[in-house]
Amino acid sequence: MRVLLALSAALSLASAQAPAPEAKHAAAPEQVVSAWFPAVPGFRVVEGPTAYAPANLFEYIDGGADAFLQFDFEELQTATYLNAKKVEVTVDIYRHKDPERAYGIYTQERPTGSTGIAVGADGYAGQDHLEFVTGPFYVKLVQAGAKDDFVLRRFADKLVDKLGGKRNLPAVLAAFPQDDQGNQGNKDDKDNKDGKVPRAEKFAVHNFLGHAFLHDGVAVPYQQGNARFRLFAVRGRDDTDARRMVERYRAVAKQPASPVAPSGNATLNDPYNGEVWLRWSGRWLWGAVDRPPSSAKTLVERLGQALQSSDQ
Amino acid sequence: MSEQKTALERRDFLKLGGVGLAASALSACATAAPERKTSTTPTPQAAQARPPSPTPEPAKPAGVPRRVLGRTGLEVPIVSMGVMNADNPNLVRAALDGGMVLLDTAHGYQDGRNEEMLGTVLPGRKRDSFVLCTKVFVSTLDRKTGQFPKDTRPEEIGEKLDLSLKRLGLDHVDVLYLHCQSLRESVLFEPLLKALEQAKASGKTRFIGVSTHKNEPEVLRAAVEAKLYDVVLTSYNFRQDHHLEVQKAIAEAAQAGLGIVAMKTQAGVYWDKDKQSPINMKAALKWAVRDPNVHTAIPGFVSFDQLEEDLQVLRDPALSREEEQSLVEPAKVAGLYCQGCETCMGQCPAGLPIPDLMRSYMYSHAYRNRAEAQSLVLALDLPAAPCDDCETCPVVCAKHFDVRARVRDIVRLRQVPREFLI
Repeated sequence: MRVLLALSAALSLASAQAPAPEAKHAAAPEQVVSAWFPAVPGFRVVEGPTAYAPANLFEYIDGGADAFLQFDFEELQTATYLNAKKVEVTVDIYRHKDPERAYGIYTQERPTGSTGIAVGADGYAGQDHLEFVTGPFYVKLVQAGAKDDFVLRRFADKLVDKLGGKRNLPAVLAAFPQDDQGNQGNKDDKDNKDGKVPRAEKFAVHNFLGHAFLHDGVAVPYQQGNARFRLFAVRGRDDTDARRMVERYRAVAKQPASPVAPSGNATLNDPYNGEVWLRWSGRWLWGAVDRPPSSAKTLVERLGQALQSSDQ
Repeated sequence: MSEQKTALERRDFLKLGGVGLAASALSACATAAPERKTSTTPTPQAAQARPPSPTPEPAKPAGVPRRVLGRTGLEVPIVSMGVMNADNPNLVRAALDGGMVLLDTAHGYQDGRNEEMLGTVLPGRKRDSFVLCTKVFVSTLDRKTGQFPKDTRPEEIGEKLDLSLKRLGLDHVDVLYLHCQSLRESVLFEPLLKALEQAKASGKTRFIGVSTHKNEPEVLRAAVEAKLYDVVLTSYNFRQDHHLEVQKAIAEAAQAGLGIVAMKTQAGVYWDKDKQSPINMKAALKWAVRDPNVHTAIPGFVSFDQLEEDLQVLRDPALSREEEQSLVEPAKVAGLYCQGCETCMGQCPAGLPIPDLMRSYMYSHAYRNRAEAQSLVLALDLPAAPCDDCETCPVVCAKHFDVRARVRDIVRLRQVPREFLI
C-alpha cells in the first residue's frame, strides 16, 4: 500500500510539472517520464501526463466513468508519445483499488472470443490497439499516425516492467473447473467447443446477476452441446454476510423464511434469471444459472470443493 | 474480427472504447453502474424468467402513461431504459416485459459490449414492440471547444452505424443520435447533417437526433433551427441551476415538433460524494417526467430492484408534496457544491481555471477528500502565488462563492505532503 501511495504522490507531482494537455514539448528520449510512464527509446511525450480522479473521470470518458467507479477506480493517468517517424501512441493507465477490481473492469470491456496475449496478467490486441491488466492497473494503448506493427507490444512490455504488480489472474478463477468430465459424447470430436468458454468470465462488485444484494461475484460461461450456461461464485465478507445473501435470495425466490444453515443448497426460482442452482458454505455462494443441463451438477460440485479449499 | 480505427479516432477510441467486435455476445451477469439507492422493497411482478432463446413478447401492460415522441409519431411510455451500464440481458427482458419500450444505448458503451448484449435480446422480438435508440460519437469532436475541425470524416457516422446494426442484430435503429453536442455550430455542422440525412434515407435509421450533456438550451434551439432533427436527448434534472432555462428550451423544441428524451434525471444519485446521502430516485424521475414536454426519460438501472422502482414511477408518476420536498438539497452540501456551470470562465484576469479550483475546494471541504483535491490542484499548472496580483477579484460566481478566498485556500494544498492527505 505504501508503494502505491508513493507512486501516487510521485505521479501527482509529475503531473503538476507536466504541461497542460494542449502544450507540446519534447522530453529527452531516455528520460523517465514519471512513476508510471516509462521512457521508450525513440519516443518523446507530446501530451500529458494528465491525471483524472474519481470525481472528474467523466470529463475524459463521459458516462463510461460509472462502470469504472463501480470497480473502485482510483486514478487515471494518460499521456501521448510520438517518435520521429510520426508513430503516435496514447497510453491510458487506470489504477483500481486492487488487482481483482482492475481485472473486473477489464473483463467488462474485453471482447468475447478475443485472443489473449502474454502481457501482464492478461491482454488482447487488435490492429492498432492493445489492452492489458497488471496488478491494480488496467492499461489501454492505441496507435495512430505512421504504421509500426510492433510498437504497441514494445510499449506494453515497458509498461509492465514499470508498473509491476501481480501478473496472475484472480485466484477465484482457478476454482472453476475445466469441463473434462461433462461432455463424454463429444470426447472424440476434435472440433468440439464444449467446456469452459475461454476468456469470457465477468466480475461484478455490485448487482451480481442483477441483484443488489449480491456482491463480489464472478460468472464463467460453459458450453455443453447446445446448452450454454454459467457457473458462478460469490464471495461474502464473512460467513454471516454470505448467509445474509442466501437469505435475501431465498426471499426473492419466495421460499419460506427459515434460518440459513452454515452450508446448504437450494434450487431457486429467480423471477428474473430463471432456475438457479445455489450452494453455500462458509463465506462462499456458488452455483449455476441459465438453464444448466443435469450434467453440469458435477461441475458445480467441483467448483464448490475448490472454493472451500481456497479458504483453507 | 477487429474494428478498424483511423488515426482520428485514437482519442475517441481510448475514451469510449470500440475494441473488438466479438463474434457473439455471451449472456452476461456482471453489472457496472452507479449503485442506486432503492427506497422500496422490490416486488418483481413485472418480469418473468425468460429463456435465452428468442420468444414472443407478452402483451404490454395497460394503463402505462405514454407520450408521442414529437414528429416521429412514436408513442412511448414516459419512463424508458438507459441501457448504458447494464450488461444483463435478463434485465432488458424484464424492462420490456414490464412495460418499457424505448431502449437507449450508444456505439461506444462498454466498448461495444452494450450493443452486443442488446443483440442477444432484440432480434427475436417483434420489431415494432421496442424502440431502439443509439448514438454515434464523431471522434474529431474537440471536447474542449465543442467544435468539429474541418478534417472531420462524415463517413464515420455510417461506418459506426453499420457496426452498431451488426452488433444489435437489427437492420435498422429507430433513432440515431449525433452524440454529445454542446454548441450551435456543431449541431448545425453541414457535413455531419448530410451524413445523418443519408443514414435516414438509407433506412438504417428511421429518425435522427442529437444528444447534449451541457449547454443544453443552445443545443435544443439549434436542433430546432436545423429543421432536420427529429429528437433531442438532453440532460434535465431538478439539480441543474439552469433547469428553468433548459425547461424553456425544451418547451420551444417540443412546440417545434421535436421529440424530447430526458437523461441524467437522477442527478448524480447521491447528494454527496461519500454516498452517505442518497437522492430520492423516484422523486427525481417524477420531477423530470412531470414536464409534459418531456416525452420520455431514460434512467439508467443495473439491478432488478432499480427497475422495479422505475416501473413504479411509470405506473404512478405523480410527484407528491413529500417527494418534492425531498428534492431540496441539504444546505451543507449546497453551499459548497460547484455545479460546473462555467459562467465564471474567462473572468479571471490571470486566466485561472476557476471551475476546477472551485471543484477542488468542494472536494476538500464538502467531501473531505483532500487527496483528490490536491491531485486536481496539482494538475492545473497554477502560478506560484495565484491572486496576489489582484487587489480585488472581478470574478462573479453564479452561486456567489467568494472565489478569491477559496482559490487562496485551496492552492495551499500543493505544499502538503501526500502522505498527510490519505
